Amino acid sequence: MVSQHGILLADNIISDHFGPIVSKVCGCLLRHGALSLLEIVRRLELSPRQVKNSLLILIQHNCVQAYTSPRGGGDKTVTLYLAIFDNVLHRLRFSKFLSVVRVDIPESEVLLEGLLQNGRLTFEQLVERTIFKVPEGSPLPTREEIRMNFNKLVYAHYVERCPKPEPFFDPLAVEQPTSTRKRAPKTVETVLSLEQKVVCTAALSDAERFSQIPYLMEGSSSANDGHHAVAGNKRKHEALEVDEEDSIIAESEVLWRINFERFIFCLKKKFCAERKKAKMRLGTLAIWEAFFEANVTNNDNKTVTSPIDGILERVGQKEGGTSMTLDQIISVLNDLECTSTTNNPEEFTFDLNKLVETCRNDEIESLVKKKHGQEAYTIFRLLLKQGCPVETDEITDRTILDKQVVHETLYKLWKDEYIDSEGVGLVPYRHMHPVTTPSVVHLSVCYTLDLLIKNLKFKMV
Amino acid sequence: MPPRKRPAPPPEEPSPSSKPQPDAQPSEPSKPSPDSEQPTISATILAQLPSQERLAYKLIFEAGNKGMWMLDIRKKLLMGPNIATKVVRTLVTQGLIKEVSDVRHRSRKIFMATDFQPSVEITGGTWYHNGRLDTDAVTTARRCCQAQVERLGAATAQMIHHGILKDDPRAGYTIDKIRDIIKTMVLDKVLEEVKSTGTGEFTTVRAGTMCYRLVTGAPQGGMMEGIPCGVCPRIDECSPEGIISPSTCVYYKKWLQMDF
Repeated sequence: MVSQHGILLADNIISDHFGPIVSKVCGCLLRHGALSLLEIVRRLELSPRQVKNSLLILIQHNCVQAYTSPRGGGDKTVTLYLAIFDNVLHRLRFSKFLSVVRVDIPESEVLLEGLLQNGRLTFEQLVERTIFKVPEGSPLPTREEIRMNFNKLVYAHYVERCPKPEPFFDPLAVEQPTSTRKRAPKTVETVLSLEQKVVCTAALSDAERFSQIPYLMEGSSSANDGHHAVAGNKRKHEALEVDEEDSIIAESEVLWRINFERFIFCLKKKFCAERKKAKMRLGTLAIWEAFFEANVTNNDNKTVTSPIDGILERVGQKEGGTSMTLDQIISVLNDLECTSTTNNPEEFTFDLNKLVETCRNDEIESLVKKKHGQEAYTIFRLLLKQGCPVETDEITDRTILDKQVVHETLYKLWKDEYIDSEGVGLVPYRHMHPVTTPSVVHLSVCYTLDLLIKNLKFKMV
Repeated sequence: MPPRKRPAPPPEEPSPSSKPQPDAQPSEPSKPSPDSEQPTISATILAQLPSQERLAYKLIFEAGNKGMWMLDIRKKLLMGPNIATKVVRTLVTQGLIKEVSDVRHRSRKIFMATDFQPSVEITGGTWYHNGRLDTDAVTTARRCCQAQVERLGAATAQMIHHGILKDDPRAGYTIDKIRDIIKTMVLDKVLEEVKSTGTGEFTTVRAGTMCYRLVTGAPQGGMMEGIPCGVCPRIDECSPEGIISPSTCVYYKKWLQMDF
């Protein structure tokens, strides 16, 4: 569930980018969850046309996902609209997304810009836009060139085919055990929110999502001219026609959009690589950098994986790297929490989410320290480390702090919503546990961004 | 050397000043003893006491080293506050019971038979002195641990403990107490807990054992605390349209001008 401050921020972003009416519709969906067109109209007292147009804009910009859901007991269905909160917030990161591509595939930047500005486009529309944007006097890029640049974006998973426009999703249907096992491979069963479930249902398979626009075979255009095909060549000719048809469909009918997950992964990766550098011990920095440079593209957006050969090669190129032995490098990699599995000892994997979680905790800890002092910091860290409610007396014992101080500090932390407390039966002591989902951070972030948007005319691309 | 036998507790000897050195070496014998060695109530003393005092003394004696709260005494004996105070005071002047302070509930008056030593639950343990946390003792212990880790590099709790005892045999910290102190230092990010690899800086520690080393480098984090809202005491009263508002906040303006 999105916090009130989060909704406020999302409202402001949409209002700044698309105006007040669209923002009203988006805010309504964020506050009330999935709604049908009629329900939105009733709640907002806007005309159906206005709501419909707003929804179209929101869908076009990937902020809303529509889905069909059963209504009543019969076969009747209703189309519901669900706001995708994360995608709204991603709008603030568009300039960062552009900078990622600027470094990686500079020639494709203009194409990505088109997708960021317009949300969803067909390749045909992208070509028109690109040609239109070319400054006067410069040579016009050929369609083949644009296609090549576009396919590079698809190949790097920066761009994907849009999800299903209106998948069927029944929230009451019991989930099949196989699907849950697939999502949660370990014993911890992750509970997915409605938003995540709908997004999962709408998503295409990876093969579909990232299938590039097929290249036309050389001379295929000339094949259109004359039909003097020899009988033996008939099969080949048919195949060519199918390819051509596919290509035309992929170019003019398939909608494309940016792949948010991939960009978030790139930004996380960059952040993690930089973040750890500050605490590196002597000699480990080269290995850390080599690990990230040797990263192979994988579909997993949570981990960075590099083969040991690649790491070795890059370590060798660095200063002092030639003198390092394989054992040394492996031990440093293990120390840096880059692990290899027994199935594949040649590849090392680093969990980005784990580091991001640690960094998030570091941030909150430093806030607690600055605001409430050293004692609060110690107590907060203890609660965070335990990861479960801890009794007040146990906190006193384990932190070796004065009982009075502990009580006062716990109250201050609780008042500021850094920690939560729960009573246990009739026991007068309270169990304290930290609020790690940063509702407090949200609060400050909201205010910060809100002001940035309002005062500095912080416009997105 | 003959086996040390626990001496029978002298009934008339209150020994009030024996508490302040709980972390000294002979900590084991001073621990709460098993039931068999518990002091027994003296029939002669009971016989000498008037009825109300006898009941109160019996009750407090049965509570053992945990003592009894004044309110509980009153409730159990169905006495009025004045009478109860008088009875208890008589027993205290006779040297049969003593008043102890409970570290968990400082305002409570706890009474205990003089035959018993207050339990760790009541005294708070090593780091407490007269019911208050002995911050000086804690600071000294932390400094000792840090000095050992600085000297040894990566070290296990046993190594740190051993080092402290070697430097100052009179310090008399037990290994458990050192472990407690190290754990608070880990929480404060003075030390960090790492698994030894047996090579490099861990050569003195067996591979695979948990050891501690000093945290190096500047503390990470602090992006949020740089934002004025991060540490704002008025954040709860702040709203975009309120009297306290981000758009009129002077700290915010100052911060934005600095960065942009």
